[in-house]
Amino acid sequence: MAPTQTSESPADVKVDTAAIRAREQVTARRVVFAGSGEPLALIGAMVVLIAIFSILNPRFATIENLQNVLNQASLPLIIGLGATFVILIGSIDLSVEGVMGASGVAFVLLSANSRGGQDTGIWAWVLPLLLAAALGLTSGLIYTMLRVPSFIVTLGMWFVGFGIATILYGTDAYPELTDDTITLWVAKITFGLPNVFWVAAILTAIMAIVLRFTRFGRVALAIGNNEEIARSNGMPIIKNKIFIFIVAGLFSGLAGILATMQMGGTSNHIGDGYLFITIPAVVIGGTSLGGGKGGMFRTAIGVLLLTILNNGLVLAGVSPSYQSAVSGAILVVAIVATAWPQRGRLRIAK
Amino acid sequence: MTKAKEATTPVLRLTDVQKSFGPVHALKSVSLEIHRGEVIGLIGENGAGKSTLLKILTGIYQPDRGTIAVNGATMKFRNPRDSASAGIGVVHQEQSLFTNLTVAENIAMNGAASKGYGTTFGFYRWGKLNKAAAQTLEIIGSRLNPKTRVGDLSFVDRQMVEIARAISVDTSKNATPLVILDEPTSLLERGETAILEREIRKLKDFGSVIFVSHRLDEIIRNCDRILVMRNGELVADRVTTSVTEDELFKLMVGHESHATKHERRARPVNETPAIEVTGLTRKGKFKNISLSLHPGRVTAIVGTSGSGREEFSRALFGAEKFDGGTIMLNGRAARGWRIPKAVKRGMGFVPAERKVEGMVGGFTAAENIVLTHPGDAAFGPFLKPWKRNKIAQQWFTTLDVRPNDISQNLERFSGGNQQKVVMAKWLNDPELRVLVLDHPLRGLDPGAAETVNEQIKAACKKGTAVILLADTLEEALEMGDDVIVMRDGIVSASYDLTVDNPSTLDLLERMV
Repeated sequence: MAPTQTSESPADVKVDTAAIRAREQVTARRVVFAGSGEPLALIGAMVVLIAIFSILNPRFATIENLQNVLNQASLPLIIGLGATFVILIGSIDLSVEGVMGASGVAFVLLSANSRGGQDTGIWAWVLPLLLAAALGLTSGLIYTMLRVPSFIVTLGMWFVGFGIATILYGTDAYPELTDDTITLWVAKITFGLPNVFWVAAILTAIMAIVLRFTRFGRVALAIGNNEEIARSNGMPIIKNKIFIFIVAGLFSGLAGILATMQMGGTSNHIGDGYLFITIPAVVIGGTSLGGGKGGMFRTAIGVLLLTILNNGLVLAGVSPSYQSAVSGAILVVAIVATAWPQRGRLRIAK
Repeated sequence: MTKAKEATTPVLRLTDVQKSFGPVHALKSVSLEIHRGEVIGLIGENGAGKSTLLKILTGIYQPDRGTIAVNGATMKFRNPRDSASAGIGVVHQEQSLFTNLTVAENIAMNGAASKGYGTTFGFYRWGKLNKAAAQTLEIIGSRLNPKTRVGDLSFVDRQMVEIARAISVDTSKNATPLVILDEPTSLLERGETAILEREIRKLKDFGSVIFVSHRLDEIIRNCDRILVMRNGELVADRVTTSVTEDELFKLMVGHESHATKHERRARPVNETPAIEVTGLTRKGKFKNISLSLHPGRVTAIVGTSGSGREEFSRALFGAEKFDGGTIMLNGRAARGWRIPKAVKRGMGFVPAERKVEGMVGGFTAAENIVLTHPGDAAFGPFLKPWKRNKIAQQWFTTLDVRPNDISQNLERFSGGNQQKVVMAKWLNDPELRVLVLDHPLRGLDPGAAETVNEQIKAACKKGTAVILLADTLEEALEMGDDVIVMRDGIVSASYDLTVDNPSTLDLLERMV
């Protein structure tokens, strides 16, 4: 309890400055550890999962399976980085699968493929990414300029992207990449880990730096915390939001290309299933759907956790017909567990 | 510029500033001067034009006519950034900090709005940023760690960050920052207010201050000069030494105070209490609290922010759980205590977080009034709109709600008028037995505060028992029949004001 800080006569209010100083220093010390609890708990959960699956199937804890897990985790992670930024400003991007389809099909048709056609070299990369960025830009513009909720806009863009993919795909046979160096590159092991994972890891580091050290990243956090205040401080809100949707589009587009490389070919359905793993991974990692709170490494942990879960269920011999229901149920439980510490009395779930 | 002239050039001069919104003249020709080192008190009822004036000074609104001069140079504020770079900083009534960012970032926000502050090519230079923030904090004597996340700070510490941010405005052209404190104390406890007042005195040494508050005693205590606004005009400009609180009240409201004295009712014997609490306990919050409230009496509970009085009052209303003890209403025990039951048994609750818990902002005032107790307006599961409007209009007249428009959404009313509607919602229950008031006067101007207090007294006359968590000790002593002091979750003292006559110092001693 604080010592007496006021005296009876209002004219000479005496303040115990020493006590206030002491209190300020306590606050400062406490804060050093604040916020590191949640990621630690997630890593703990991961360790428990690994232990359980290792007991159920000795093949789980092998180098080959680790490489396999990282291979599987890479694309959700890349998409998750963009999604984290979008969720940090309090919005959501549901267009992931459509954008992946569009960029994947564009990539395969611009590369040397089994349908014939031209190998366009660098353009096979640039044009699909530009297409993905354009889809993101469109979402961003409609969201900010016409003030339509991002939920609706990106739900629409999902099917616009899927439509573009379907048109590009046409009715011919399944196009396969004919250049083996491209298809084999993603899963190739460098320094013990698959190349595609290195791509994801480097992008994670870059995005973490952007979030921590740039004005762009800090303004995004500020918008997510309180857009009204951000506006009255003269921050470039619209510019920031549009740019974030472009980045999210780019990352989905890159994931579409990498997925195509992994499969050795593509259809307009290349993106199917990715949204379902990405958004929960971001949330389980601890990025708040309300915006303003979260980070890239948290998303990385969330993605790893879910990938280990899926991989472990397969190795534990859960029948494929049950798998989807089991992983869905576990997801719900995991999200409830994540949200549990934050259920304040003034929080209303919508 | 000669030295003599420099001394007389006001830091801020407004000449004939006017602002209208459609047909409403929010400001009718305001002219004023503020000098270096002055603390100016700005008072006025809600709707008197204070906020419009402040919004013009901070670049949120642009005046229709008139000029603003800072240190003799005429300025045009097109946006908040212009105003900040002219040396005007604001501490908002409702804190406007980013809780997920650090202290240093929040302080830099004024500067960050003007490019290049602590950033190089868009990259943050945390070292530079933290150092600058530490220097600013040093000026106001705070040792907060600039790397702390603002969300982890207490309310009064956040207020320090707000002040630091306000004085970190661009002072390159202007050696004297002008800090506007917009009702900075309305959410503070008494001890915290003292800390803030210490800050205000420090600000005088290097800048000027405009201090906006509804608490007249505070204004008189801290300000050199007081400006009173009414109906969009400056109606008085007084040196503090020559005015009294009563005089200021009259200048603000336009008439003398109509406040009646609360008629105390002696503690009755052999009467069933409206509510009787025995040994109520919640682990870590409050412990073994027993009290009985009789119809027509006000029980004021005082205590510091950790005393558990908020949690206790919420538990009474079923808004929070309790671990042990019993609550009896009119002699009947309360089981499975939840808000719907409490409301059914004739309890009402006016929460401190009015906007979050007390009202539905997107509903009209009329809909809010009949929200819990529709009375005659109910027709089975349906509502009769004409009856609803009639009931609402009666309350609007009784409580003098302004503007007198029951069909406007409640979020568009000012805080004081919102509170009147929140009160009406409970008073519309003819069977209202217990009314729990959590800081009912928070943020209210003296006129609205008087209306609310009169309604509390009227409810008492009709036989309602009232629990009051007052903003100030003076309020508790004025309104209460009983005063209960809480400390660390237990009742540390209890006074029956019909018998005892404790001073504020007596109460304070038992609070800390």
